[in-house]
Amino acid sequence: MNNGKPKIGIYELTGCAGDALLIVDCEMELLDIFTAADIQSFAMAKSDNIDGELDVALVEGSVTTEKEISELKDIRERAKIVVAFGNCAAHGGIQARFDDKEWQENLKKVYGNQKFTHTKPVRSKPIDEFVKVDFYLPGCPVSKEQFLHFLTRMLKGNPPEHYPTPVCVTCKYNENDCLLNNGKLCLGPLTADGCGSVCPNHNIPCFGCWGPVENANAIAELHLLKEKGFSVEEIKKRMANFAGTKLADAIKQL
Amino acid sequence: MRIVKLKQDRLNSFLEAVSTDSELWGPVKKGADKHRFKIVDNPAEFDLDYTRTILPPKKIFLPPRFNMFKAMPTAYEEETMDPTKKILFGVHPCDIHGILIMDQFYTQTYNDPYYIRSRENTIILGHSCWPDEHCLCHSTGTDVANEGYDLFFTALNDEYLVWIGSSKGDDLVRIVPELFNEDLSDRDIQNYIRWREDRSKAFKAEINFKAMPDFMELKYRDAVWENLSHACLACGSCSNVCPTCTCYNVNDKPRLSENASDIARCWDACTLESYSEVAGGENFRESRSERLKLYYTHKLQAFISKYGKPACVGCGRCAATCPVGINVKTVAGALDGEEVDAFWSRYATEVTK
Repeated sequence: MNNGKPKIGIYELTGCAGDALLIVDCEMELLDIFTAADIQSFAMAKSDNIDGELDVALVEGSVTTEKEISELKDIRERAKIVVAFGNCAAHGGIQARFDDKEWQENLKKVYGNQKFTHTKPVRSKPIDEFVKVDFYLPGCPVSKEQFLHFLTRMLKGNPPEHYPTPVCVTCKYNENDCLLNNGKLCLGPLTADGCGSVCPNHNIPCFGCWGPVENANAIAELHLLKEKGFSVEEIKKRMANFAGTKLADAIKQL
Repeated sequence: MRIVKLKQDRLNSFLEAVSTDSELWGPVKKGADKHRFKIVDNPAEFDLDYTRTILPPKKIFLPPRFNMFKAMPTAYEEETMDPTKKILFGVHPCDIHGILIMDQFYTQTYNDPYYIRSRENTIILGHSCWPDEHCLCHSTGTDVANEGYDLFFTALNDEYLVWIGSSKGDDLVRIVPELFNEDLSDRDIQNYIRWREDRSKAFKAEINFKAMPDFMELKYRDAVWENLSHACLACGSCSNVCPTCTCYNVNDKPRLSENASDIARCWDACTLESYSEVAGGENFRESRSERLKLYYTHKLQAFISKYGKPACVGCGRCAATCPVGINVKTVAGALDGEEVDAFWSRYATEVTK
């Protein structure tokens, strides 16, 4: 602790950096965040970064190279609490939707026979495949509301809250007509809440970008969508988009 | 109770005249064929040819999410004792019965100040309706409202018969007495009686609610609950759209820059897995079948033994909402031994094959 302020590091592995950008976008709260916390490392926002001991490390992005594996392990050693920050860190992101075979094929397609000198690529995986993760904050990007609530609780010494409900809960709060009932391939019931049901609010079905909600009844939804005329292949493809490595095999077996 | 007449083309003049110092809420079209209660500037925005709104009127008294108060180390400050005066127009009899159930619930043992304050500041103007295939209010005995409104408008030909249900309602009529006609003719009475008879015959769905407490008891271990649970997506929508679901959750939201927390309240749903989770991570109803049993025990059994009527007002929202067809109609039907045509029953056949 420095002046009693918790030391925080914000790190980006492979992803679009949207989660780190979301922090910078908290314009009304930035002063409060920097007042309440000692931000030691935040490559997107400042240049005088120190890679020392941390109370909390927010890690965005998935692991896609060997270099990132050692960076991640180093962060874990320095931090008391590691947070998987955003869908890529929590589930692996879109880049984790391929199995080993598909990943090998894609790598070949893009890089051909090129030699990797700087670091060796690996199949994209969420960070908990390599280190212990204390808390998860999914989202694509994470929501401002959930992030600020999470950070505030952490800074005040309270354990962060868990969001165990599907998108449908907020979708109904927003009084949207159910898109499944309108014959749309909506993943709301299978997806963790937090986005404010932003897509269904605009009559666009949920793509599942927050990643799967715990104990989602994917098999029932698959059969429901099948009955509505979608092909099994199409449904599985949509389900796998943001579900990451942990569910990739489960979805295949549905 | 007094009944007066109003020409239908004078309705908007009436609503404009009485809502000068209130928010005016009523049914407005949402998308192609759905409706919701919404604040309007002009009553012409209302679409009275509606069957049900997506969410019931409870959202007006207790929004899905709101901050109750700000808690500080040695004090607290109320944040949303909503004193806005509201007129809620176009409420159908089923929803009036839903409001009566909430009135009873939120004033038993402990008064809920947020509900009561909001409710006391809201005038209820009911409106007649015509049933569709999901309406079950004839079976629940909630197809007619004899209380729970300030005024009730029954549309007959080009006129309204207006029931004055309270002194507040009477005050509204007295703001613009020239719009109303006191003389009800024999013909008006005959027209109303015939309309009621025709409407009674128009109901397509009936449920034997009287038998449900017994059936719930007898079939508590029936395979129907497992069959329902295979398909249930545990989305919580059946509770969120139900006019008599009153459960809520409370969360502390600490403020970043001060030593204070907002104490927030949001609708909860017993069909969600997190509902029955307690400290230490223990969960009393981990399985979907246990949670569905709880929901339907409340609707079809427990409320009846306590209050003498089902906690279902027959609005049909669960039937119009649940994507897998789990609703009061199909569940009661299955308990009654009927062959039910719903996704959940087709899927159960496939699963148990």
